[in-house]
Amino acid sequence: MLILFAVMLAGAIVLWVAVNGMMLFFNRISTRHYDESAARKLIIGGGIVFPTIVIAALLAWGLSIMPDQRAPGDGLRIKVIGEQWWWRVEYWPEGAETPIVAANEIRLPVGARTEFNLTSAYVIHSFWIPALGGKMDMFPGRETMVSLEPTETGVYRGQCAEFCGASHAQMAFEVVTLDTADFDTWLAAEAAPAMAPEGAKAQRGAQVFLAEGCGACHAIRGTEAVGEVGPDLTHVGSRESLGAGVLEPTMANIADWIAHTDDLKPEVEMPAYDDMPDDDLMALATYLKGLK
Amino acid sequence: MKRVLQTLAALAVLGLIGGSAVVFGGLYNVSARVGHFPGVPLILHTTFINSVKRHAPPESAVPDLDGEGMVALGAKHFDGGCKVCHAAPGQDRWAIPTVMVPAPPHITDAVQEWQPNELHWIVDEGVKMSGMPYWPATRTDDIWPMVAFLDAVQDGMTGQNYADLTARPTRPDGAPEALPYCAMCHDNSGRTDNPLIPRLDIQPQAYLEQTLLAYADGSRDSGIMHVAASRVTESDLMELAGWFAAQDTTPTTVSNITDRDLIARGEALAAKGTRDVPACTACHGPKAGPRASDFPRLAGQSVTFLSDQLHLWRDGARGGGTKANLMTKAAQDLSDGDIAALSAWFAAQPASR
Repeated sequence: MLILFAVMLAGAIVLWVAVNGMMLFFNRISTRHYDESAARKLIIGGGIVFPTIVIAALLAWGLSIMPDQRAPGDGLRIKVIGEQWWWRVEYWPEGAETPIVAANEIRLPVGARTEFNLTSAYVIHSFWIPALGGKMDMFPGRETMVSLEPTETGVYRGQCAEFCGASHAQMAFEVVTLDTADFDTWLAAEAAPAMAPEGAKAQRGAQVFLAEGCGACHAIRGTEAVGEVGPDLTHVGSRESLGAGVLEPTMANIADWIAHTDDLKPEVEMPAYDDMPDDDLMALATYLKGLK
Repeated sequence: MKRVLQTLAALAVLGLIGGSAVVFGGLYNVSARVGHFPGVPLILHTTFINSVKRHAPPESAVPDLDGEGMVALGAKHFDGGCKVCHAAPGQDRWAIPTVMVPAPPHITDAVQEWQPNELHWIVDEGVKMSGMPYWPATRTDDIWPMVAFLDAVQDGMTGQNYADLTARPTRPDGAPEALPYCAMCHDNSGRTDNPLIPRLDIQPQAYLEQTLLAYADGSRDSGIMHVAASRVTESDLMELAGWFAAQDTTPTTVSNITDRDLIARGEALAAKGTRDVPACTACHGPKAGPRASDFPRLAGQSVTFLSDQLHLWRDGARGGGTKANLMTKAAQDLSDGDIAALSAWFAAQPASR
C-alpha cells in the first residue's frame, strides 16, 4: 500500500519537475528561437512517445496485479450482502458449516488472502475498500468474488461505490486488519454469544431492548432476540463506527441514532424511536455499547 | 350580429341583477316548512338516483355479505349511528326526521330498489343537501357489514330480529357507566363470538387507552370505531380501557382452524421473521421476556380480525397509537399468504395478556 503510494508520488514528482522545469527553461533561461524540426521532435518525443511508454508500463504493471484480486483465498471466506443501506457480513472460516454473523464492519488477518463472496438483497451496490484493492459490484441474485490480502495492520474505510438510493453516501464501513493471532482471538470472540449486561443501567437497557421489540429485527445471540431484518448486534459495542460508517460509536450517538434514524440516514428502514424517553435511550445505549 | 351580442349582454346583466337580488336580497324563502317549488323534489330525487347508479362501485366489488358476523356488526353500528333518522325495522320514526326536508325515509323504504354496491356508495359518500352524512373514515371496507345489514332489511328483517342483534348486556355492578354501549359489540367481558369484532380482554390497559384515543381523534382509521369512541368522553374511555384490561382471559381460544401446515408456517414467521419481515412475537408475544404495555397482544385474537388488520397495515391505511409507525414498516413486505398464516397461528394460541 505505502509502496504503491510512494511509487506513484515519486513518478508524479518527476513529471511535475520535468514539465515545470521545461516551462521555466524555455521561457526564462533559453529564450532563443528554435527551428520547426527541433520543436516537432520535442513534441513527438515528450507528447507521444514518453507518455506512451510510461502509461504502457503502468498498465502492464496494473494488469499484472489484477489477477491477484481474483486469486483463491487462503481459507477464510467472507460473504457480504448489500442491504439498504448497510452490510450484512458472514465469516466462513475454512470448513465451517454455519457462518459467524456480523454487520457493518470487516476484520481481516494480515498476510493472508481472504476471499469475499459478494451479493445484494435489493439493488446493485459496489464493494470498495480503496486502501486494499479495486471495487467489485454486488448484484441481487448473483454472486461476485474478490480477494484481498492486506499487508499491514490498521483501520481503513470501505464505501459503497455504486449509487444505490437516498443513503448511498451513508453506506460505508470500517475495515480493521489484524495480525493473524489477534484475528483468530477476535474471530473466536465474535463467534461467541453476547456478554451478559453488567451494571444496573445496562441490565435495564437489556430489558428495554426486549420489551420494545428491538429483537424483532435485530439478533443478539444468546438472548431471545433473533430478528434478521437489520444488523446483528451481538458484538455491536466492539465496532469502530455506528449506522454503517455514519457516526462515531459513542453512547450519545447510539441514543441519537435510535431516536432519529431517518434524520441521520434518509429513508432508512429502521423506524425512528423519537417517543422513547431519554432514560430508556441512554439505558439502551449503555447496554449496546457493552456488547463487546 | 351586433344586435344579437347587445341582447345577450343585456340579458346577462339582468340575470346578474336578478341573481344578486336572490342571494343578497333574501328573496328566496329557504323555509323547510314551505318546501320546494312544485316539481323540484322530483328533479332532485331523479338526479340522486341516477348519480348513485353512475358512481357506484362495480357489482364485482361486493364481498360475501353472508359472512359470519356481518349482519350483526352492521346492525349494531346502525343502531348507534343511523337509527336516529331512519328508524329500525319494526319501529316508527320519531317526530324529528319526519319534518326534515327531504325527510329521511324509514329504513325499510330507504333500502328498497338498491343493489348492494349502490348501498355501499350511498353509505360511503353520503348525499349532499339531504342531511345524509358521508362515512367518517378514509377506509371503506368496514362499510360492507352495514351493507349486509341493509341487505337483510331488504329481505324482510323483523323487529324481533333487530332487537336481538342490538341488545345491550346488563351493566354489572361497579362497571363503567358507558359500558353497555361498548358491550353491545364487545360484551361486558370484552370477548365476543363475532369474528369481525376484536376481543379486548387480552389487551393491556396502555394499549387500549392509546387505541381508544386514536379512534376518537381519527388517527386510527375506522368509520365504526371513530363514531363509537367520539360519543364517549375521554375520561370514560380511560375508565373503559381499565375495565377491559382487567377482565379474565381464561376462557381462551375460539379458533377452529385445522390447517396444520398453515399454522406451522405462521409460527415460523411469527417467531423468527425473515430478512424482510420482523419477528412478530418480539413485540406482540407470546414470549417469556418483557413486553411494552402499548403493544397489542395477538394470541387468541379472532382470525378474521387479525387478517383484516394485517391487510390494512400492509396496504398502508391502518393508523393507530404512538407506535403505529413501527407496524407500518413491519407489515410492508407481508404477502397475502403470510397474512393468512400469521392470522391462523396467532388465533390458535392460548390467549394471554
